[in-house]
Amino acid sequence: MDITMTDSGSSSSRQGQVQVHFITNSPDVELPEGKRQLLVPTNVRRYGLSQILNSESMLDTPAPIPFDFLINGTFLRTTLEEYLTANGLSSETTLNLQYVRSLIPPLYEASFEHDDWVSCVDILSRSSVAGIWDGSEVVPGQERILSGSYDGLLRVWNKSGQSIATSASSSAGGHTSSIKSARFISPTQIASSGLDRTIRVWKYTEAEDHFSAELKPILELYGHKGSIDSIDVHGPSNRILSASADGTIGLWTTLKKSAPSAPAELLTSGPSAKRRKIATSTSTPQRGPLSTIKSHTSPVAAAIFNPLDATIAYSASQDHTARTFDLTTSSLVDTRTTSHPLLALTALPGISSQLLAAGTSARHITLLDPRISAQSTQVMTLRGHTNKIVSIAPDPESNYGLVSGSHDGTCRVWDLRSSRYGTKDEGGGLVGEAVYVVERESAKGGKRPVGGEGIKVFGVQWNKDVGIVSGGEDKMVQVNRGRGVTRPDTT
Amino acid sequence: NIDPASLLPKLPRPEELKPFPTVCSTLFRGHEGRARSLAIDPSGIWLASGGDDGTVRVWELLTGRQIWSAKIGDGEAVNIVRWRPGKDAVILSAAAGEDIYLLVPPVTDPETDASSRELLDAGFGYATNATQALTANGARKDPAAKWTRPGSRLEDEGVLIKITVRTTVKVISWHRRGDFFSTVSPTAQKSAVAIHTLSKHLTQIPFRRLPGIPQTVQFHPSRPLFFVATQRTIRSYDLQKQELVKIIQPGARWISSFDIHPGGDNLIVGSYDRRLLWHDLDLSTRPYKTMRFHSKAIRAVKYHKGGFPLFADASDDGSLQIFHGKVVSDMMENATIVPVKVLKGHKVKSALGVMDVDWHPREPWLVSAGADGTCRLWM
Ligand SMILES: [Mg+2]
Repeated sequence: MDITMTDSGSSSSRQGQVQVHFITNSPDVELPEGKRQLLVPTNVRRYGLSQILNSESMLDTPAPIPFDFLINGTFLRTTLEEYLTANGLSSETTLNLQYVRSLIPPLYEASFEHDDWVSCVDILSRSSVAGIWDGSEVVPGQERILSGSYDGLLRVWNKSGQSIATSASSSAGGHTSSIKSARFISPTQIASSGLDRTIRVWKYTEAEDHFSAELKPILELYGHKGSIDSIDVHGPSNRILSASADGTIGLWTTLKKSAPSAPAELLTSGPSAKRRKIATSTSTPQRGPLSTIKSHTSPVAAAIFNPLDATIAYSASQDHTARTFDLTTSSLVDTRTTSHPLLALTALPGISSQLLAAGTSARHITLLDPRISAQSTQVMTLRGHTNKIVSIAPDPESNYGLVSGSHDGTCRVWDLRSSRYGTKDEGGGLVGEAVYVVERESAKGGKRPVGGEGIKVFGVQWNKDVGIVSGGEDKMVQVNRGRGVTRPDTT
Repeated sequence: NIDPASLLPKLPRPEELKPFPTVCSTLFRGHEGRARSLAIDPSGIWLASGGDDGTVRVWELLTGRQIWSAKIGDGEAVNIVRWRPGKDAVILSAAAGEDIYLLVPPVTDPETDASSRELLDAGFGYATNATQALTANGARKDPAAKWTRPGSRLEDEGVLIKITVRTTVKVISWHRRGDFFSTVSPTAQKSAVAIHTLSKHLTQIPFRRLPGIPQTVQFHPSRPLFFVATQRTIRSYDLQKQELVKIIQPGARWISSFDIHPGGDNLIVGSYDRRLLWHDLDLSTRPYKTMRFHSKAIRAVKYHKGGFPLFADASDDGSLQIFHGKVVSDMMENATIVPVKVLKGHKVKSALGVMDVDWHPREPWLVSAGADGTCRLWM
């Protein structure tokens, strides 16, 4: 150990100063050339540096913009002095500080209690896709949270945690088993799917006072032979995309008149249907898929529309592959094979081009470049979760951020700008680590249970107006949101 | 002075033999009392379990959510649950006391559900029309088993066939094609081993006499051979010629379990006297390797059947041990066996630890059933 060296290094720099060079990739907050070099005290942290950048003599921002600082791909989480010491650097060094708009610590805001496990969540706000597609802006304060539960019910909540609507039970046209996925198609339409192998489309109508609403089943969609674990929606084209444990992907329309008839053999009839008959006693129209794509060889965990082009779909399967499909011809365009079963999928705007983030059973997230021209399949690996990753959502305010939900009972926030080279054991490549870990408030402070028992996260969404919303085995929808952005770091 | 260890072939390090399960990924809690037996369905989506509380349960494998349960044991433990092989139907078999049940859990689409029920029902017509066997003096022979409907309470839950034999069934083992399965009732003496034909609702007793108390049985994965383990030996029989083919002598005092490698030429054996043995059937009737890693009885052993060179054992010491076991194509070369991981977590209850073990059909994932009442998925 070189105790003497580090000792002398830190003593000479105590209360000292260090030369920094501010750089950024965001042109709107770029400093004029003459202001990029600066001598700063070595005892400052992220917050101090952020204040310096915002100051009158520097960026002179009208309202402070919280910044984070990357040195060699790692976020500064200590004082500069501690950084120099930890890296064996002298204070004579010039530090290259890359500044980026700060990721906001997702502080706990509220939990909404359910009767059973919460399998999925979605958000309606003026910045959510369903809010944007509709054109008529969602009034601020009237954002809605949608949750689907293992009890087979959908619930719509306001931000204060008041339950505004609950879907019909199975005897009144609702799901006959657990719900696995639910999405807002528009401020007045919702789709849901689950273990009963159906997708149901609902009309959502709020009362004038906005404290109660009706969820009316308007369409039942049949065509899958296994649980429908995930759906995606595209409002402008009235399309739903589904991923099923039967290994297929379904494409559906929400328009009753354009939908093909339901496959008779999959409707609940025959000897086993006696107990389920009650479920079909209401007269919700039943329809079939526009197309079914058989391509994967194991359960499909997720199928999503390309956010930039809804005629393209991406899917992720337990067969280890992520695939690209042309939906106009229902044809397979591309297959990317990874080393592990894939359990979640989302598309990210990416740094220079779109990326896919796939959650694996092997406790990491694989970032893939879906372009056929891409040289290497795997762009980056995000490590830190200690159990399966079953849900991923993009950061609504950054091309570089995402949040993941895992059976380890946490949601983790990642920033693709922060990376290092993986060890041999990790298989090399670029590795990212979580910027923030969001625990379940229901189990806070306790030891994380084996197998995530009782606290598994099943679904997560991230919205600019509402925050990070997650649901899980603790029967809670949990809302986390950045507040107190400009406060100094406590650590 | 040569270090004898330097002459041994160098084994690869476990890290070089990935993937294999390392952590408990999901817990399945619900059984009151011991979880006795478990099995993952051929699709890899569902886990079935049976326990001392007399229930059979079906769970979502990845989440640990219980989807369905039925109480089939009236004051008796469910000793064994096994899925019928194949994806054309979804049929679960389970035994409690002297009753074997065939069930169709409500986890399938209506079409598969209907074809599964048809497969179970088809034999009723055959059984009614078949002439009953007569004994030497012309009296009607008591059938080896009775195939009946289990009554409306169970039928409404999807439990569709009850097969009653003479004494408690401990083992169910299916033939790969899904029309035959064998059961073992160790205390039944002459009729301890039975072979059941699903399409005919027919139960046959293949052996007039057995050289010991049968413990467990298995069909060969590809050839018409049938293996029967008694306490000390495993015999293989040619089912077509009805003759003894081979006597395998693991050298254990009391065999608890064995499994045949999917390639068909190797076999692992677990014993209550803590031994794990690997037999290369091409080479010898004696084990090629004997391993003693556990401090208590080994209750179950299982090969991975989906392409990974892995096998596992389950012990009353509460742990599971994972091995890499690569079978090489060369007939004269033995398999490379490397212990790669010990999985701990199950609690020992009344001197019983891990009761059963199964692999996922495709992935290097393992499930275990414990005397602590939990089942666990390891990834
Ligand atoms: Mg050999």
